[in-house]
Amino acid sequence: MSARPLLVAGGRGPSLLDRLDPRTRVLAAAAFALAVVLAGGLAAPAGAVAVAVVLAGLARLDARRTLGRMLALEGFMLLALALLPFTTPGVPVAEFAGLPVTAEGLRRAAAIMLKANAVVLATLALAGAMEVVDLGHALARLGAPQRFVVLFLFTVRYIEVLDREYRRLRLAMRARAFRMRAGLHCWRSIGMLFGMLMVTSAERAERIHAAMRLRGFDGRFHIADDRRPGPLDWGFGAAHCLALLALAAVDLA
Amino acid sequence: MAHIPDGVVSIPVLAAGAAVTLAGCGLGLRRLPPEAVPRVAVLSAVFFVASLVHLPAGVSSVHLILNGLMGITLGVAAFPAILVALLLQAVLFGFGGLVVLGVNVMNMAVPAVLAGALFTVLNRPGDGRRAALAGGVSAAVAVAATALMVALSLALSGQEFLPAAKLLGLTYVPVLVVETVFTAAAVGLVARVRPGLLGGKP
Amino acid sequence: MSDPLIRLDGVSFAHEDGRPVLDSVDFTLAAGERVALTGPNGAGKTTLLHLMVGLLRPAAGRVVAFGGERRVERDFHEVRAKAGLLFQDSDDQLFCPTVAEDVAFGPLNLGRSRAEAAAIVAATLGRVGLAGFEGRITHRLSGGEKRLVALAAVLAMDPLALLLDEPSNGLDDDARARLLDILDALPQAMVIVSHDRDFLDRLATRRVRMAQGRLIG
Repeated sequence: MSARPLLVAGGRGPSLLDRLDPRTRVLAAAAFALAVVLAGGLAAPAGAVAVAVVLAGLARLDARRTLGRMLALEGFMLLALALLPFTTPGVPVAEFAGLPVTAEGLRRAAAIMLKANAVVLATLALAGAMEVVDLGHALARLGAPQRFVVLFLFTVRYIEVLDREYRRLRLAMRARAFRMRAGLHCWRSIGMLFGMLMVTSAERAERIHAAMRLRGFDGRFHIADDRRPGPLDWGFGAAHCLALLALAAVDLA
Repeated sequence: MAHIPDGVVSIPVLAAGAAVTLAGCGLGLRRLPPEAVPRVAVLSAVFFVASLVHLPAGVSSVHLILNGLMGITLGVAAFPAILVALLLQAVLFGFGGLVVLGVNVMNMAVPAVLAGALFTVLNRPGDGRRAALAGGVSAAVAVAATALMVALSLALSGQEFLPAAKLLGLTYVPVLVVETVFTAAAVGLVARVRPGLLGGKP
Repeated sequence: MSDPLIRLDGVSFAHEDGRPVLDSVDFTLAAGERVALTGPNGAGKTTLLHLMVGLLRPAAGRVVAFGGERRVERDFHEVRAKAGLLFQDSDDQLFCPTVAEDVAFGPLNLGRSRAEAAAIVAATLGRVGLAGFEGRITHRLSGGEKRLVALAAVLAMDPLALLLDEPSNGLDDDARARLLDILDALPQAMVIVSHDRDFLDRLATRRVRMAQGRLIG
């Protein structure tokens, strides 16, 4: 089966960021997103996009795939953004279909586009382009509750397994002339497919639990990870903080 | 289908979302016994895979939200399960933002828990058709509630979003229709084959 | 001759809905034996293995293992450390994110320290020819590698007996040959459930066949 794996790290090979402690990357992503959300005006968000582009370069993100992900906005967000130039009070600068377009509205929409894409790009570079398992371990060592991390890692473990099962069932449906065409039949069929997948998965969960009992599971999970931050982490962290401070300075200027 | 990106929502809304999500996840995790972890995780993986399927609807296609089905099977554990799913989607696919994660989880998980409760009221054990109907209704309510909460998140973030928030429900109509039929079929099957999975006991 | 490692006396088992699976089965596994357990699908082979380690409880009969009769969950904790069950589907058995964590799971539960567990992991992976696999992500492994990691996870608990449920199922020729060589070199007593004739010819010292819930010689 030629299924592309679902949980691929986004990078195109070993990068500078891969030599960092995963915790450094998680903290950097969180700090970046927080700084961008708090920034005002247009200059700081534009600067944030520039920083994010540098991070994407460091992570060696695949340009085409990343662009596709950045431009994908859901219906409700397109609606909200498209209406902003008309609904934000301010100085009218143009007219569209007889309605006044305000400068403030255009700026607001542009700021949202810049901020949203800066965060997406930086997140894909810092947190997306590493092993999801490392992300889970990093969360654990940053103090996330153990039960949450166990749930996270357990889910990650079985996503590919279930994706394969889903593809097998879809293939079997296609072999019986099923086609994805809008309509009750299609939605019901896919619903039943996933109902079946839920049932077989619950049975699989019982076998997993049995396997855990056989190896003496007593309710405690052991998460292993012993990477330590090195000079590269401190250096990267310092540079990242400086970049964020520079953005704040632009914002206040 | 309900991923608000970063940079849109105001600080008070962000804080409220984070608080509700933290509380919900805390409750969900406390009520999750260690032996239930494999089941909740494997089901979360099923829902994650399902949320990536494009289902054709009219001229375009939709991604399912699935919060109704998650609430029906996981109960309060839907909170941490949805947090896991949205965190993965944000990090791997760039769906939604990071700071806004709390708001996005809240907008999906609160309706999920509501749908789970509604399902237990509507369902009659041993009646597959009744279960399918109850599942469909609960899923529709969950999607509508999510649309309402997304609209509120925007409207409370600024006057300028008010007109968009009022129209926003329209963009959810295709998902609501597809998701109702999908969930009714899935719940109908589970009710006949393995009814113990329904009812939100993790 | 010393006592058998595992003995089932007149064991019966039925599904929840009342369908009988096993009907008064007697079975023994002695040290140094490798018993091939064959029979058609649904004959109750997997059920028999699960009864030995207490994943299922018999409706009638006795399970005697490693020097004592085993009745309740607590009794079986010791049995599970001494009889390692290899599942049909390795994805059911390997639930940890990385190979090292999975192989260490059993030893840590048995009270080993982290350092001891790490040493056991390295040694066990070496025994199954996967030295250096510690940091690998489990869901990225091939089917053959998963089966070997699952075997390593079982061996890491230092069992006296191995219960293998269709060990060569779904493996390609290379992986199957590799698994066969590794198993053949192990000192443990084994019960091998399989439809793979060559595999059994090479490993088994004794054969029993199951049909309709009963053992035939």
